[in-house]
Amino acid sequence: MISRKLCTLWIILIPLSLAVGAFAQIPLAEYERALYSIPASNPGYILSTIELGMTQEDFPAETLLSLIDRLVSHPAPPFEKEAILLGLAHALEDGLPIESLINKAFEGLARGVPLQQIERGLSVRLILLAETRDLLYSKGIFNVPAGSPQTVATAIPMLRFNRLLIHVSETIGDFLEGGGSPFEGHVLYQEVYNRLTMLQGVTLLPEDVELVLERIEPSDLTQVALVAVS
Amino acid sequence: MKLDKLDGLLRDTLKAEVAASAERLIELEERVIMKLGDRHPRLRWFQWLGQLSASTRGARLGQVAVVGATAAIFLFVGLTLSDRILPGGGASRLSLQPVRSADGTQEVLFVLPALDAENVAVVGNFNAWQGTALSDPDGDGIWTASISLSPGRHEYAFIIDGRWWGQDPLADEYIQSFGEYSSVRYIGRGGDDA
Repeated sequence: MISRKLCTLWIILIPLSLAVGAFAQIPLAEYERALYSIPASNPGYILSTIELGMTQEDFPAETLLSLIDRLVSHPAPPFEKEAILLGLAHALEDGLPIESLINKAFEGLARGVPLQQIERGLSVRLILLAETRDLLYSKGIFNVPAGSPQTVATAIPMLRFNRLLIHVSETIGDFLEGGGSPFEGHVLYQEVYNRLTMLQGVTLLPEDVELVLERIEPSDLTQVALVAVS
Repeated sequence: MKLDKLDGLLRDTLKAEVAASAERLIELEERVIMKLGDRHPRLRWFQWLGQLSASTRGARLGQVAVVGATAAIFLFVGLTLSDRILPGGGASRLSLQPVRSADGTQEVLFVLPALDAENVAVVGNFNAWQGTALSDPDGDGIWTASISLSPGRHEYAFIIDGRWWGQDPLADEYIQSFGEYSSVRYIGRGGDDA
């Protein structure tokens, strides 16, 4: 029975590896090896989302593999390690950038935080990423894949969009984690304003920063924060 | 001569002496203070400079020696600190400008005073939260490390003998993460982040 499942998995994974091998910096087989070392109970699902993620321009291939390797050597039970990877898999499946989530996981591991607590933290950050993206969409700020024509003025290339998305959602996450209340919308807006302007002209384009700050309002940020804490 | 007569004579003589000197005792205190002031007048900087040429050879040599020694001490301290705070040495030794490469990557100095520490490291998103050791070669308790950082926002904390320290005085801001503080530095903002 087990060997039949393994065969099926191999049949799926071999063409998958060949297909994405050309794009990925790291072959899918490397992730597969690491997932089996955990051992993950559902490696097929996680691998398929990694394959999806590999199509993202800013997919952090090396750092994701490094995180899985670090989880392998962690003394916690396998299901706790897999829960963290499943969180990342959900983000990849939803087309969200996972760079900031991986960074948070690394930090938690380095601080010796229990894996379940790290997983809870990642869940909140994941909700914030999704909600912030919806907020940007609702304000008419869209993303376009690299190389695609820009149909509207407020549709910005994926890389730039993702950077904005990460910084806005991370600011809300840091604010909440620091004890801020979702109802302090003006304070939250000021925090977002501060971070975006600090990075304006560095990693964010001034016109992108201007667009976001012009269109979002304190009450919008309150709504996003409320969803994350509820 | 009887004693009471002698007493009267002495008293009269003393009175006459005091009466004769009365004029000289007026404002004696003020005049003494003024005299003292004349002996050690408070010099303005240009008067002091003027005295360099006007005073005696001995005094002049003393002043020159004091100025020279002060300059030498400042130069020594400056060069010693430049070794510690400016990475790269050579031409950049006396420069306070951050060392930047063409892609905006910048050598950033992390400094932490930890007098009794045996091991100090810095962890952050730039090293996947795995420690980069700080060093203290002269054992004065000031630990340093120079790390190449890309432009952007970097979160980090120090680990001092296994204890986390997330409030670097040189940080641009602080955040709380997993219930503890982390420091944040922004790199690449017009040179104000070195």
